[in-house]
Amino acid sequence: MAGPVASGTVFLKACECLTPFGHSAETLAALLRGERALQPRSVLGREGGDLVPLALLPDRALDETAPPSWLAPVRTLLAPVNDAGWGTARRPVFVTSSNFGAGSLYAYRRSGDAAHMEYGALVNCVAWLSKQLGWHENVAIFSHACVSAHLGLLQASRVVQAGLADEALVFSFDFLSPFVSGGFNALKILNADFPAPYQARATGSIGLGDGAGYAVLSRAKGDFTISAQSMYNEMHHFTSNQPDGAGFEACLAPIAAQAAGRRLWIKGHGTGTLDAGRMESGAFAKVFPGAPLVGWKGSLGHTLGSCGMVELAISIAALRDGRTPGTIGSGAPTFTAEVALDSFANDRYDGVICASNAFGGAHAALLLSHA
Amino acid sequence: MTDPLITRLKHLIVDTLRLDGVTPADIDENAPLIGSGLALDSIDALELVVKIEKEFSIKIGSSEESRQALASVNSLAAFIRARTAG
Repeated sequence: MAGPVASGTVFLKACECLTPFGHSAETLAALLRGERALQPRSVLGREGGDLVPLALLPDRALDETAPPSWLAPVRTLLAPVNDAGWGTARRPVFVTSSNFGAGSLYAYRRSGDAAHMEYGALVNCVAWLSKQLGWHENVAIFSHACVSAHLGLLQASRVVQAGLADEALVFSFDFLSPFVSGGFNALKILNADFPAPYQARATGSIGLGDGAGYAVLSRAKGDFTISAQSMYNEMHHFTSNQPDGAGFEACLAPIAAQAAGRRLWIKGHGTGTLDAGRMESGAFAKVFPGAPLVGWKGSLGHTLGSCGMVELAISIAALRDGRTPGTIGSGAPTFTAEVALDSFANDRYDGVICASNAFGGAHAALLLSHA
Repeated sequence: MTDPLITRLKHLIVDTLRLDGVTPADIDENAPLIGSGLALDSIDALELVVKIEKEFSIKIGSSEESRQALASVNSLAAFIRARTAG
């Protein structure tokens, strides 16, 4: 079995996110107040179905529109960094998502409206998005389920570190659709209950949320740095984790080596499923004993391929603010004593580990700190 | 005498999952359905859950409940009986 793939230091010139609460500052404030963006909604949109916890952008319906209703908020999100130079030879763009326009395929199937097909496949969707945002041809596409954002960050970091680019834009997005929520509902992990990440209870459940974010990576010193990144795939099963949880620990090894002697808090993946939550929190407690662990998907829902980027931007906002939101939606008993249910001051810590996991035993983690 | 629900479930499993080379009679009602026994995977489980919910007009509430119901053909029959009783 191959070991984890790791990467060295890169600086964050900018990083921002979009959630139902707004951008990172608004989202952090809402999380610190313990607010929950998830609301009970019909899993199949206008077709009804079970009520499940979904967190949609304000005024955005679950059903697809043509063009997609998320374009305008994405334009607003990217406005501070978007310019005519992205996608040129020295300024590549890395677009990451787990679903891209998959929901549009379903919308075409339901409505017969051919307009949906312009966004209804990965390459089509990114080509359309690039045109809308004025990006040139140097746009790469990465998709690896719920570690997609980490994969984009890792690959972009390598390009920047190797001197192949002056800076790189990593853009990550996943907006919900009846196709996506219906799929998770069929798996029964999206059900009527609200998620309670890392809480030891009888049944697990997740929520799903809209999310997008970006990071501009550079070798020039910025306010924040990613000093280690790691990705590891168990190759055990195409949906399940290795039962002993060893994959979670394997991914953390390069981060632990880099983080030796540092006081850290941890932003975990924490979707609300039981097995993965138990294994993930157990691995953190073993590799980083005593480090407080938080997860925010009990409020924001799981934003799927964008979650790594969305939660990175919120972590940066938390470092700026000096306060870390607790694990909203959860209560005692938790899988490990390290799970922090309440907000805490983070100024006595040297950095944060941001981790995400995905179907099939794919794991990702990075070490974020003030530069 | 063969339990008609057990027989129906065995046919449903073979038909829904299009199990090549497996007949309903080959399925041991006590053997685990997922992982070992028939060696069904999680995608098979998803297909089965969707089919069972439609066929018997019942709801499976969570992945833990799904796992419990799909432990074996016998446990699936017991689950369906409990949900459709009364």
